[in-house]
Amino acid sequence: MSTANTAHSVVEPSQTSKRIAGAIIILYAIITMVPLAWIFLTSFKSPPDSISYPPKVVFQPTLEGYCNLFTTRTRQTPEYIQSLGAPVSTCDEITRNRNMVIAGPSNYWPRFQNSLIIAFGSTFLAVFLGTLSAYGFSRFKVPLADDILFFILSTRMMPPIAVAIPIYLMYRELGLSDTALGMILLYTAVNVSLAVWLLKGFIDEIPREYEEAAMIDGYTRLQAFRKVVLPQATTGIAATAIFCLIFAWNEYAFAVLLTSGSAQTAPPFIPTIIGEGGQDWPAVAAGTTIFLVPILVFTILLRKQLLRGITFGAVRK
Amino acid sequence: MTDNNTTLLDKAAEKAVRATPVPLVYRVRGLSDRSIAWLFILPTIVLLLAINIFPLIWAVYLSFTNFRANRPNAEIEGVGFSNYQRVLTDPDIWQAMQTTAHFVFWTILLQMLIGFALAYLIDRKFRGHAFWTTVILIPMMLSPAVVGNFWRFLYQPQIGLFNYVYAFFTGVEPSSFQMLGSVTLSPWAIIIVDTWMWTPYVMLICLAGLRSIPDYIYEAAEVDRASAWRQFWSITVPMALPFIMLAVLFRAIENFKMFDMVVLLTGGGPGSTTEVASITLKREAFESWRTGRASAFAIILFVAVFGLANIYVKALNRVKQR
Amino acid sequence: MTNETTPPAKPKRPFFLRRGPMENIATALIAVGFLMLFQPFALVLYTYSLVTLLAGTVMFIIVSKFPE
Repeated sequence: MSTANTAHSVVEPSQTSKRIAGAIIILYAIITMVPLAWIFLTSFKSPPDSISYPPKVVFQPTLEGYCNLFTTRTRQTPEYIQSLGAPVSTCDEITRNRNMVIAGPSNYWPRFQNSLIIAFGSTFLAVFLGTLSAYGFSRFKVPLADDILFFILSTRMMPPIAVAIPIYLMYRELGLSDTALGMILLYTAVNVSLAVWLLKGFIDEIPREYEEAAMIDGYTRLQAFRKVVLPQATTGIAATAIFCLIFAWNEYAFAVLLTSGSAQTAPPFIPTIIGEGGQDWPAVAAGTTIFLVPILVFTILLRKQLLRGITFGAVRK
Repeated sequence: MTDNNTTLLDKAAEKAVRATPVPLVYRVRGLSDRSIAWLFILPTIVLLLAINIFPLIWAVYLSFTNFRANRPNAEIEGVGFSNYQRVLTDPDIWQAMQTTAHFVFWTILLQMLIGFALAYLIDRKFRGHAFWTTVILIPMMLSPAVVGNFWRFLYQPQIGLFNYVYAFFTGVEPSSFQMLGSVTLSPWAIIIVDTWMWTPYVMLICLAGLRSIPDYIYEAAEVDRASAWRQFWSITVPMALPFIMLAVLFRAIENFKMFDMVVLLTGGGPGSTTEVASITLKREAFESWRTGRASAFAIILFVAVFGLANIYVKALNRVKQR
Repeated sequence: MTNETTPPAKPKRPFFLRRGPMENIATALIAVGFLMLFQPFALVLYTYSLVTLLAGTVMFIIVSKFPE
């Protein structure tokens, strides 16, 4: 191939155009980050600072938002607060400065735990089932394979609200409504389609010869799958797992329709955080920040596989 | 092509495999391939049948009845096609479809234009483009519900950052307009958030499209002295088109189902100006409890999405062949 | 990618039994159904959008089984 090494290669853009492109992209990236940065900042503001006009960029940072997020508080008279001993924690102190005392933990942490349990549970199941079926589709001649694969994918495209009606009725009959198990099964079903498609792509890339050689050495098909294919597919499995995790973590429609209390996840809960006299924005921002940090980390880990993930493994770059 | 990089050992192994009578080998050692294939695939199929297909069939059944989920003991009567007839002649639901169409059209148009432009610029491969690409991609990974909720904060009329920044650059009074409370602005409030969130998605797919164009085509065009403008329209755009189509179709399917973000931003209001199909469906099903009619509506949406999904998979396969 | 040679010329199937053109018709039908569902002009078109979509989808599924 004659990709010229000269500075004036046709395909290589000129320095000026590179610089302009870079400047525009960086500008766009910064603008795109402003809303997120603003939420992060707001989580460290006091409630009056958060609703001040003009919006404050420089302010006295406080943990009040985080304290309010994790606790419920009751208003007390100054005399009563005086009569209490020294504050036992930073949050205690902040709360007392507002003439309130901490009454107990809020629902945020249980909701967050639900999110963790449901996201990890469904991811594990989806990746487990997905790996098996992906291997099946990749290595064996399955009758009607294309149709089954399309069927699997199409289940992911269904509008959640449309499926929610019968699921709601079904779960009501089975006693699965508002249970973590019900949500895990549901998210597994949604995620398994992505897992099958993605993992099939990854497993297709592992040469068959490896397993065949292993089987000559006396491995059974199952042993070859476990000891040869699985280790080779680790990256793919990890990437798929993160995609499933993010979906389950972010899901809202099913969660808001099918859970109300004990199995509610964080996304339907965060908007319901309210303080005295309206929405407690620093607490909401704190809840949002804590909720979004894992996704930021995962996005950075996944950056090379994102394209694959969003095209169901079709585009591999 | 695959044979090129296999080692001698692999080749020997392959030969040995071919020499061994295959069925015999497997029958001796445990399960046959056929049974393994089904063993591996069936659990997934069973799960999907139980959680997706069975409910869907149930919904089809319900769509022909007058069932109401809040009165489970009332007698269920078949009503034929009247639920479908009602939904398909109801001007309010028709209105909701148009509201949805409005969103789908504008979000896709904006995301395509901005996304393609960004991809084109990133493809200049300036220094640090990988890092900045990752930064740009972050919004699409977030939860639409949580995003909707915090944009609601940014859109607050007096204290919100959006109003402040807009007012700062245009000089209007920041409390003079309400993005979420006004009939004319609230659809645009949602379009802006959706574009903010999903432009990276379109950008990423367009970037893949641009990168799939081999360099030699441009070199040949250069030899022919085709202008940059010509090259763009006769090479870049047509060659990236399958990828663009993929992005358009997927965004169309997703935005057709749009729910989370709208619920959190406007809840369908003010009035019903931003009431998209999913919200109408949710109201029919879980607020009016007209389960039968809601099921009919759900099936209609499902058929529409399923039709698009067929085209989408066709587009996927076309891209895969590249 | 693979070393497949072009298949030998077969006797042409009639138009309505070939996959390519029929698939395009089905795709067009789905697209038209979608537009009918969305358009703000006539309620009648909206009413018949479901039938069109359904026809297009069913046709697509059937013709995608035809050989190329």
